Amino acid sequence: MGKVLDGTRPAGPVAVEALAAEPVEYGMPRAGRLTVDLKAMSTLDPAVAAMYEASPGAANGSAGAPPASAAPAEVVAPAAGPDTEDAALDVDAETVEDRRLRFERDAMQYVDQLYSAAMRMARNPSDAEDLVQEAYTKAFSAFHQYKPGTNLKAWLYRILTNTYINLYRKRQREPLQSNSDTIEDWQLARAESHTSSGLRSAEAEALDHLPDSDVKRALQDIPEEFRLAVYFADVEGYAYKEISDIMNTPIGTVMSRLHRGRRMLRDMLAEYAAERGFKTAADASDAAGSKSQENRK
Amino acid sequence: MSDCQGLGDCDDTRMQRIYEYLDGALTREDLTEIKNHLDDCPECAQQYDLECVIRNMVKRSCTESAPDNLKNAILDRIHAIRPVEA
Repeated sequence: MGKVLDGTRPAGPVAVEALAAEPVEYGMPRAGRLTVDLKAMSTLDPAVAAMYEASPGAANGSAGAPPASAAPAEVVAPAAGPDTEDAALDVDAETVEDRRLRFERDAMQYVDQLYSAAMRMARNPSDAEDLVQEAYTKAFSAFHQYKPGTNLKAWLYRILTNTYINLYRKRQREPLQSNSDTIEDWQLARAESHTSSGLRSAEAEALDHLPDSDVKRALQDIPEEFRLAVYFADVEGYAYKEISDIMNTPIGTVMSRLHRGRRMLRDMLAEYAAERGFKTAADASDAAGSKSQENRK
Repeated sequence: MSDCQGLGDCDDTRMQRIYEYLDGALTREDLTEIKNHLDDCPECAQQYDLECVIRNMVKRSCTESAPDNLKNAILDRIHAIRPVEA
């Protein structure tokens, strides 16, 4: 007991060095997965980044890159199966036009998902749209760094998350952890008082009848780092390791954010259910004068 | 919560085990152990059920479609930054 799988062991802060490390030069051959340097990207105009891509001769100078002539000039083939072809795809030899087509074919299918995630970040549709646009622009500019065959959607989510942090959080001038401690304390205390009375399947029943708007409201009311962890785990079903890559935090932090986030969420949903007059376990135990209620006294 | 100590001796530990079970983040032995416990313990099973319900609610509520124009706006931007090769 006690051993937690993250999906791809060994655990630990893997692949985060790309974010923390010194800026990666555009045109460098990719090393490992998820090697977009978003810090560099955020200071680099997308058009400038794209210009680097436009001169593949200069970009391919590093050791290890196969000669550009090795790949056929016309590999576009939008109809080709991505899984088989991409593993062998020579990204460095790809023309800008080919890359753009590949991006449109492979990345654009996730617009809805990224928008949904952006709605959890930006809090209103207009900002969410801006965020997704910005993230996609960055993703395109860095698409040569994406390693074909790895999880493209997670890669896009990571760029989205970082775009959000770089653009919007800076605008708000709040550190990511700002209010967590104070909010956590009182909300957790509240959660304790609820859960200690015992939740029953009547509660599950009641919560399940809440409208989507309540669920969204409850999510928006929990601190964003918890909210995003819950989103990636519950909506996308990502493993802790994947969430840790996307959010650039250690797996242990992901787990604790999920834990706290879920408890806050459950607590708020229970409150909403009570406000709407749905019968919850707390009501039931109050009425019955149950043992658990005695324990709270 | 319940007095059950099958998944741990405090509330936090118990919920953590349930979350890990929910997230599929356990070894096969641990999975089996927790599954067996949930089969036998209605109280913990209810906790687990509730978490499943909430998870599904979140999933259901947060699956939005992007506005129609967004995809085109992105494509426009991508085309706009495409450099003219010298």
